[in-house]
Amino acid sequence: MLGGFFRKVAGKSSSRDVAKKRLKFTLIYDKLEVNDDVLNNLHRDIVEVISRYFEIDKDAFKMDIRRTEDRSALIVNTPILSSKRKT
Amino acid sequence: MSGKIIVITSGKGGVGKTTATASIGAALALEGKKVAVVDMDIGLRNLDVVMGLENRIVFNIVDIVNGRCKVKQAAIKDRRIDNLFLIPASQSDNKDALTPEGVVGVSEELKEEFDYTLMDCPAGIEQGFENSIAAADEAVVVCTPDVSAVRDADRVIGLLYARSITPKLIVNRIVPLMVERGDMLSHEDMVDVLSVELAGLVPMDDNVVVSTNTGVPLVLQKESKAGSAFRRIARRLNGQNDLPIVVPQSQDRFWKKIGSRLGIGR
Repeated sequence: MLGGFFRKVAGKSSSRDVAKKRLKFTLIYDKLEVNDDVLNNLHRDIVEVISRYFEIDKDAFKMDIRRTEDRSALIVNTPILSSKRKT
Repeated sequence: MSGKIIVITSGKGGVGKTTATASIGAALALEGKKVAVVDMDIGLRNLDVVMGLENRIVFNIVDIVNGRCKVKQAAIKDRRIDNLFLIPASQSDNKDALTPEGVVGVSEELKEEFDYTLMDCPAGIEQGFENSIAAADEAVVVCTPDVSAVRDADRVIGLLYARSITPKLIVNRIVPLMVERGDMLSHEDMVDVLSVELAGLVPMDDNVVVSTNTGVPLVLQKESKAGSAFRRIARRLNGQNDLPIVVPQSQDRFWKKIGSRLGIGR
């Protein structure tokens, strides 16, 4: 199509291409979203598992999902008070 | 006999679910199957007016589920198309008048009575959606070529997969000229983004408005492009898997093709 030709020459992308690109990103981001219930359960479980091996400061325990351009990371930060030695 | 229950859903409202349900239902009946279309939008019923059967309602789906009547008593027979029946929604009840368990409870009776039961799902992913998919064997997701509809379709497709239902996609309201011009998502774009199998492609068609105005089934309008697209979709859902998907084309492109055949095109 002629319109498409001019757009290509001018280096502009069609609104169709823009829509597709935006959709792809949106859907990826949508899927990374976690609801509060899931997050709270995960929080509880991680504290429980770590507590089997270490004495930790439960109030200072921090958990966060950090998103960057192309990936998400689960960041857990907890002060360890002491290790639990098997006797 | 044991029929099939197919849910027609979309997530987003206003993409053509009700039109699709009415048209596919009518088309399946024209194929000789006994079909019920069920309006699952409790409190906001519309399938009855789209089908032109609004004056004949006695019982509704809530009555069936609550045991106030039999499926046979509530199903309104369409006088123009043999074997086509409508089970309307209740207009006065609350959205929570139905439960998924209640719907599953009457699904056997529906399957006993009809070859195909089409559930016209309300917009959204709340109770009405849960009720509509509760007893579904198959699902069809209707989506228009815009960003918001595709996003919602993706969400709904995910929810269907979570229930072990593999949905098929209908792309509705395609404007071929706009796709060619690069101003509308193509069905390839949508399949690529949603990674889902196609049930069919439906072009934008003024006849849909006319059909809704008059309550005359779209599939009975011989010249309607959307109508014939829905008839093909129905045949595909009815097991004719080899029926090729027809891509809607603009008049413009049609003449260009003829032109190039004659050697006068660009």
